[in-house]
Amino acid sequence: MTRWTAAAIGLLLVAVAVPTGWWLTRPSPADGPPVLSALAAPGSPSSTASPATPSAVPASATPPGSASASGRTPAPVRLRIPRVAIDAQVLAAGVEPDGSMTVPRDARRVGWYRYGPAPGDRAGAAVISGHVDARSQGAGAMFRLREVRVGDRIEVGLADGSLLGYRVLAKQTIVKQRLPVDQLFARDGAPRLVLITCGGPFVPELSSYRDNVVVVSEPDPTSRGA
Amino acid sequence: MRRLTALALTAGLAGSTLLGLAATPASAAGTSDVSILHGVPGLTVDVYANGAKLLSNFTPGTLTDPVKLPENTYDLAVFPAGQGPTGTPAIEAKGVKVPAGANLTVVAHLDAAGKPVLTPFVNDTSKVAPGKARLTVRHTAAAPAVDVRANGAAAFKGLTNPNEAKADLPAGSITADVVLAGTGTVAIGPANLDLAEGSNTIVYAWGSAGDKNLKLATQTISGLHSAPAGVHSGTAGLVDDQLPVALVGLSAAAAAGSLLALRRALTVRRTSRG
Repeated sequence: MTRWTAAAIGLLLVAVAVPTGWWLTRPSPADGPPVLSALAAPGSPSSTASPATPSAVPASATPPGSASASGRTPAPVRLRIPRVAIDAQVLAAGVEPDGSMTVPRDARRVGWYRYGPAPGDRAGAAVISGHVDARSQGAGAMFRLREVRVGDRIEVGLADGSLLGYRVLAKQTIVKQRLPVDQLFARDGAPRLVLITCGGPFVPELSSYRDNVVVVSEPDPTSRGA
Repeated sequence: MRRLTALALTAGLAGSTLLGLAATPASAAGTSDVSILHGVPGLTVDVYANGAKLLSNFTPGTLTDPVKLPENTYDLAVFPAGQGPTGTPAIEAKGVKVPAGANLTVVAHLDAAGKPVLTPFVNDTSKVAPGKARLTVRHTAAAPAVDVRANGAAAFKGLTNPNEAKADLPAGSITADVVLAGTGTVAIGPANLDLAEGSNTIVYAWGSAGDKNLKLATQTISGLHSAPAGVHSGTAGLVDDQLPVALVGLSAAAAAGSLLALRRALTVRRTSRG
């Protein structure tokens, strides 16, 4: 009789342990603060800029006229995240007919949003996105972006041969319909590097993921030119 | 470009609300951005607004930076440089309404018959779709109706003085020229235009066809960009972040087995007691 009881308990443990184990071993969909707060200026909560004006216009808190430094900065050509072995060529990318950002068809390559700030510009978010996977090509350049953690180092190689270092501030998985594109693609505000790929549950009927995985990082002067 | 320095320098106290308020911060309510373009050939001028000097030694082909003007009605007058605001102005426009929250360009130019006039244009500062640029063309020349061609194809047809035409186009460089309407006779150009993404590039045709001094002036209003609608970057489902079906099945089977074993255990206990 205890044999059946033991079997019942054992099987119950298996039934619980299987999903729990999956849950514990999967890469966390988020790390660090929400990406929106990571996009804001460092150490900003007290907002010493101008106490007289309400905080409705965060853009004006940054140096005036800083937005359009772009155009002078060399284009990014390479993206590396050593800890998760991401290493991809960067292409300049624009917009698709449906209004979404172009992601290079070659899943091994990633795209920099060429209409927005460039990595190295003094203000705004430079956006680089790449495939997590593609049906005909398998794993994409950003397959392991979901494994990135706060503090990870990112390197961006520029067309002139120089290298920019970044440090990850936040990672978040966000439902695509709620992606805060205005903030992620902001052309003013603190300088940030924003990496975007797909993630979350896959919807086979749409051949598409439900979510975007977003990683926000800030320039890390200590790692420059390493 | 040239700054309206005279505006800030002569800012007085009473009597010149225009000048006094012009230096208020960008966030002030009830103002409009106003630029001024001089498109009358051969005439260096001073510009007055409600009797106060707005611009000195303003030369043809010059476009000012935008300044904030308070919402009001203005009498604008243009006099030959140094003459002072007395006598009959060279050009005059009374009751020019500057609303709140608009972006205007006031153009001193020739009408189709060659008479100097002042025309206020409202600049379209609505958002431009990502990847696009807005092109506005304004006919402010003493010339008949024209067609504007972009990369050789007619983009705007039959444009007359003092009217404008506009379109949102893919960002990038184009070659534009102006031809007499319905003909291939080039009046101005060709000129290369860099249509920057998220901006409104405003091109003015000015001068006089009769005097063979037709020219183009360009004004650019940036910051009209909008963000892409989203990012679609995965089609294979290799990192599908939900419990795999196999594991769901395994867990369900174990749960079912657990129930069966439990029932058996209870049955065995009952029979052994009975």
